[in-house]
Amino acid sequence: MFAYLIRRLFFFVPILFGVMLLTFVLFFVVQSPEATAKRVLGQKATPKSVENWLHNRGYDKPLLINHTPGGSWHDSLFIHQMRKLATFDLGTSDVSGRPLREVFAQGVLPSLLLTVPAFFASIALAVGFALYLVFIRNAAVDLVASLFCVALMSVPVMVYVIFGQFLVAQVLNYFPAFGFELSGWSTPKFLLLPVALMVVSGLGADVRLFRALFLEEMGQDYIRTARAKGVSTVQVLLRHVLKNGLINLITVVVASLPFLIMGSLLLENFFGIPGLGNVLFRAIQAWGFAVVQASVFLGSLLYLGGLLLTDLCYAWADPRIRLQ
Amino acid sequence: MVALGAFFIFGCSNNPHPEPLAKVREDGEPWKVRYSALPEDPRSLDPQVSYDAVSRRVLEPVQECLLEYQPFKTDPYELTPCLLLALPERIERTGGGITYRCALKPGIFFHNDPCFPEGRGREVVAEDVLFAFRRIADPKVECPALSTLQDYIEGFAEMFEAARKADSFDYSQPVSGLQVTGKYTFEIHLKAPYPQLLYWLAMHFTSPVAREAVEYYDGKTHDGAARDMFRFHPVGTGPFQVAEWKRNTRIRLKRNPVYRTTAFPTEGWDADREALLRPLAGKALPFVDEVNMTVFRETIPVFLLFRQGYLDEMAVGKDAFSSLITPSRDLSEKYKERGVALHRDVEPSTFFMALNMEDPLLGTNRKLRQALSCAFDAKSNLDIFFNSVPIVSEQLLPPGIAGYRKEFRNPYGYNLQKAKVLLAEAGYPNGKDANGKVLEITLDTTGGSANERLMAEFYQQQFEQLGIKVKVVENPFARLMDKLDNGGFQIAAGSGWGADYPDPENFYFLYYSKNLPPAGKNHSRYKNSEFDRLFEAMATMENSAVRDGIVLKMNDILAEDVPHILNMHRSSFRLSQPWAPRIQSNPLLEGGLKYVVIEHGLREQLRTQWNKKPVWPVAALLAMVAGSALLALNARRKS
Repeated sequence: MFAYLIRRLFFFVPILFGVMLLTFVLFFVVQSPEATAKRVLGQKATPKSVENWLHNRGYDKPLLINHTPGGSWHDSLFIHQMRKLATFDLGTSDVSGRPLREVFAQGVLPSLLLTVPAFFASIALAVGFALYLVFIRNAAVDLVASLFCVALMSVPVMVYVIFGQFLVAQVLNYFPAFGFELSGWSTPKFLLLPVALMVVSGLGADVRLFRALFLEEMGQDYIRTARAKGVSTVQVLLRHVLKNGLINLITVVVASLPFLIMGSLLLENFFGIPGLGNVLFRAIQAWGFAVVQASVFLGSLLYLGGLLLTDLCYAWADPRIRLQ
Repeated sequence: MVALGAFFIFGCSNNPHPEPLAKVREDGEPWKVRYSALPEDPRSLDPQVSYDAVSRRVLEPVQECLLEYQPFKTDPYELTPCLLLALPERIERTGGGITYRCALKPGIFFHNDPCFPEGRGREVVAEDVLFAFRRIADPKVECPALSTLQDYIEGFAEMFEAARKADSFDYSQPVSGLQVTGKYTFEIHLKAPYPQLLYWLAMHFTSPVAREAVEYYDGKTHDGAARDMFRFHPVGTGPFQVAEWKRNTRIRLKRNPVYRTTAFPTEGWDADREALLRPLAGKALPFVDEVNMTVFRETIPVFLLFRQGYLDEMAVGKDAFSSLITPSRDLSEKYKERGVALHRDVEPSTFFMALNMEDPLLGTNRKLRQALSCAFDAKSNLDIFFNSVPIVSEQLLPPGIAGYRKEFRNPYGYNLQKAKVLLAEAGYPNGKDANGKVLEITLDTTGGSANERLMAEFYQQQFEQLGIKVKVVENPFARLMDKLDNGGFQIAAGSGWGADYPDPENFYFLYYSKNLPPAGKNHSRYKNSEFDRLFEAMATMENSAVRDGIVLKMNDILAEDVPHILNMHRSSFRLSQPWAPRIQSNPLLEGGLKYVVIEHGLREQLRTQWNKKPVWPVAALLAMVAGSALLALNARRKS
């Protein structure tokens, strides 16, 4: 297991380098720093102000290798950017000048407060509903529920957000239509509606998936044996189907755990939650490429972490699997 | 779970704002809060850096300028002293230079802030203006005003270049362009006449800055406590100071308890506003105790909160336009009944399509340019894409700028018949040249969004009505900027200019031949010796009847030469709640928060009325849950 872990971590290096290379090409070759400067500084910017902006951020260095007489060969934009990312120096925002480490650190908690409750509530509700549907399988309610799940899946997330905000917050006045406060009891007041919308928007797909997984388990020999020995349907579902079905869920669920940190782009913007989704959205709007580049880098790290975590959890949950 | 849900629904208010900083004022009156929206976080609140509209809007009530605009005089705009005792005295020096002699009001104090000994703001003195001017010339500060001011203020260009070479700025060096002559007095020395300097004194770039504040707020950790950067922690003299800035969420300003720089004006408003404004005349400012600016990335929540009474004003965006505005561009009855008021704000800006005068086809054929201008139906453009809110521009100068003529009509405004005649006179009858070849013209636009693409198609259709062929090239913003700078275009859509200051020079310099790109902004590459002569005379003159005459002549030259196809003066609809009557509409004041009034009692009453919570949906939901549970129990019993 330990050797496997080390090997996997070793594989991360070329993957991460590939990501860094790709982001460099995207943000410094495809889109030149001059173009970014003009966009950030606006139509009234003069060539001198553009030049000064680039100089103050080190974007006026030679692209790959520094051939300037008297200059060090590695004093180039490419080496500079690679070194920064490799040492986890995220730098500062191109637009506001704020250190990105601080920007990301401040966004993590609001994002997690939105995504973690939504994640666990989604799993709990979807598992509960799926078990219920398996329990009453083939009944009319099961058919109606399946149709309802398909309907839930078919509605775009944007519609949930706008409709939920309008109906629950505007017409019924139950929750604030917007805002966020990180202080005691006022925090849930702001989060209940976005969390509920996040849960509902994903519920249809989750219930359908979990129902299919549990139904597959129901057809296994050991279930038939249990039923033959007189175990009730409820006990079969809760003790055997749920436990064994959850192993299959690990691949789906664990890989998405690290992404909870990244928040929700749409919900955070519509509800004014100052999380990382909000930060990223703003950076894209304002051409803050330093933020976007750092987000891509952190996102790839989280993705790799998620994959590794999935493998480890799989081995832990299913004794038949050994990591070599 | 049900009890918890019910607690949050019925036990908590749906008010998204935090509790105000206080309940009552020291005099026992209710604490008044102004609630408004920001489209994004300010980029920088450093007065020498802040240039974008959002940052200026937050900075305006915090950081005062040496001069300011009279809130009610907008046609034309008028400057009045703010931190200065009086408008600067102009002195002509031998050799052509000009000196402006200025005196600060004594007894104006910076906000109380930890950067000062014992946290008490000290008095503003002339040295603080000198420090601000040094910061303008510091390359690390990135002051947007430098590129203009260095052409006029003595020593600025040299200081900037020296600092660039040394990679550091010497703050102990004397500034030849600004001389401190006393505790409160200073002189600004110009290389040449530049009356527009007074407008720059009404901008934050020249606002006095306390050196202690810049040095204290260095963004580093001291004694275990992290300090913000100065660009996020302004220390000014304004009627409000920053009390809280939750990044990406909100900014709260609180009243400066020792504010006494200015009072409410005693004149200047229209007669029909006398009843509202006379009682305020001469009163101490500001009228509200706290300003809450919430950051909204989307416009839909702004509308929702305005409807609930949690915002005092809002801009009417596309999402809510049809709900709020009638086809006759009036406020809908539903909102009139709620006491909401509609305002139309015209920005001092002009948008147009630039025609390249160096293009061998367009630059040499005036009739062709006139024909193209006549073929463009600006009104339909505004009706289709802008909900008819902006105003069709008939001239380069927008309303309120000295020289703007309300009655003037663009001689080459939309007239398709005239366009066809002009095109024939230009040598292209029915859009074809003498050899029968269809005339082809390239139109460069910014591409990307569906709306931009539709607009480009509309422009194309407009010109193709003449029988010519128009090739549309969509460009990313930076690419279009490059084309404008290097002249690689024939017609460039989406050009425009918003006034930095309300002077015709700030618009006509766009067509001055010594202002060619890349250093300048004469993207049309317009060269006209008569226009240049008039510009040079007008630019250095003080406002007068003679100057107005020159401005009119320049307008006529541009109207006849058509180096651009005029489109619009940008405008917007804004709404205000019944408890927040609009006091002033001067767009150069960035909100003018010190003049804002709030009727606290009326707001509380209407908010309660507008935010009642019905019980029946919760009861229905509970019944549904109970029904499902019963169904499950029934199924279990059967199994």
